Amino acid sequence: MGNLIGPENLKFAPNLETIVCVALCLVLAIFMIIVGAIARHADPTKRPKGILLVADWAVEKLDGFVEENMGEGFENFGGILLGIILFVFSNFIIGITGLPTPMAYLPVPLSLGLVTFLLIHFTAIRYNHWKYFKRYVEPFPFFLPINLLSMWAPLLSLSLRLFGNALVGWVLLTLVNWGLGNASAAIFGAGLGFGTQGELFFVPIATPLLHAYFDVFSSFIQSLVFVFLTTLFVAQEKPEVDVEKETKLTSRKEAN
Amino acid sequence: MTDIGAIALAAAIAIFSSGCSSLGEAMLITKAIDGMARNPEAGKNLRSSMIIGAALVETCGIYALLVAILLIFVLPGSIVH
Repeated sequence: MGNLIGPENLKFAPNLETIVCVALCLVLAIFMIIVGAIARHADPTKRPKGILLVADWAVEKLDGFVEENMGEGFENFGGILLGIILFVFSNFIIGITGLPTPMAYLPVPLSLGLVTFLLIHFTAIRYNHWKYFKRYVEPFPFFLPINLLSMWAPLLSLSLRLFGNALVGWVLLTLVNWGLGNASAAIFGAGLGFGTQGELFFVPIATPLLHAYFDVFSSFIQSLVFVFLTTLFVAQEKPEVDVEKETKLTSRKEAN
Repeated sequence: MTDIGAIALAAAIAIFSSGCSSLGEAMLITKAIDGMARNPEAGKNLRSSMIIGAALVETCGIYALLVAILLIFVLPGSIVH
């Protein structure tokens, strides 16, 4: 066994998934900057047109979604949610072009899950301060190891959901392509004399449906589910306001 | 029993969980259609909630499929004779 830490192990050799993921991030960032510049220079008295209309609609919908699902105190959450939606959707749907899906490469969904995980815990610390650490010793201090283990459940469930969906879609498509290619090659290539082009006949019949389900539909639903779960996990960290105490305080104020 | 046979059996048992999740999904969709038939005005809300719930339930089946795929394709290569 050689030296694990050395210059020969620090070479920067990204695989295709990483390149696709970074390229998509760059494209999205440039697109966002352009839309932001257009929005900044637009005349607010005129009605929006073109890309600005779409952006306006998306921001309005997302703000409504945040207000409906998270309540007060989270008004500025629309931005990160839009970023997560666009990242998940674009990284999932790129499989339709034949490039490798970055979501089927575990570090990508795992880092996305880590972002949500940090968001959940920072929100909890922001609202509960020192009471945040109380959750690890509830109901008794004896539960500390169990609570420390269950702390990681949201991270694993969020990232493995994306990873599993993308990987299963990729594996099924590869299997169907391989099997139909072989069947078609046996019938057309050897039997009817089409040669090596014989394997192209059956595959286009079956793959559009599978692509439609595993790439288009799945990416749409999974990005929606990811954002929905993020809002739920983050919003439940805000402590419930004690209604009785609140009304007592206000009634006392009114009496004074 | 040979190693390959044991792996195949393990993959088949893992896929059983996928069947259970499909049962849960069927129950979910039945209830949602019941609600839609009883109250057609709430159909839009029910449909979107149903699709999100179905995606959540389906994840369990996809975990099972993932485990089965890993068992079939990864485990035989890692057994050293």
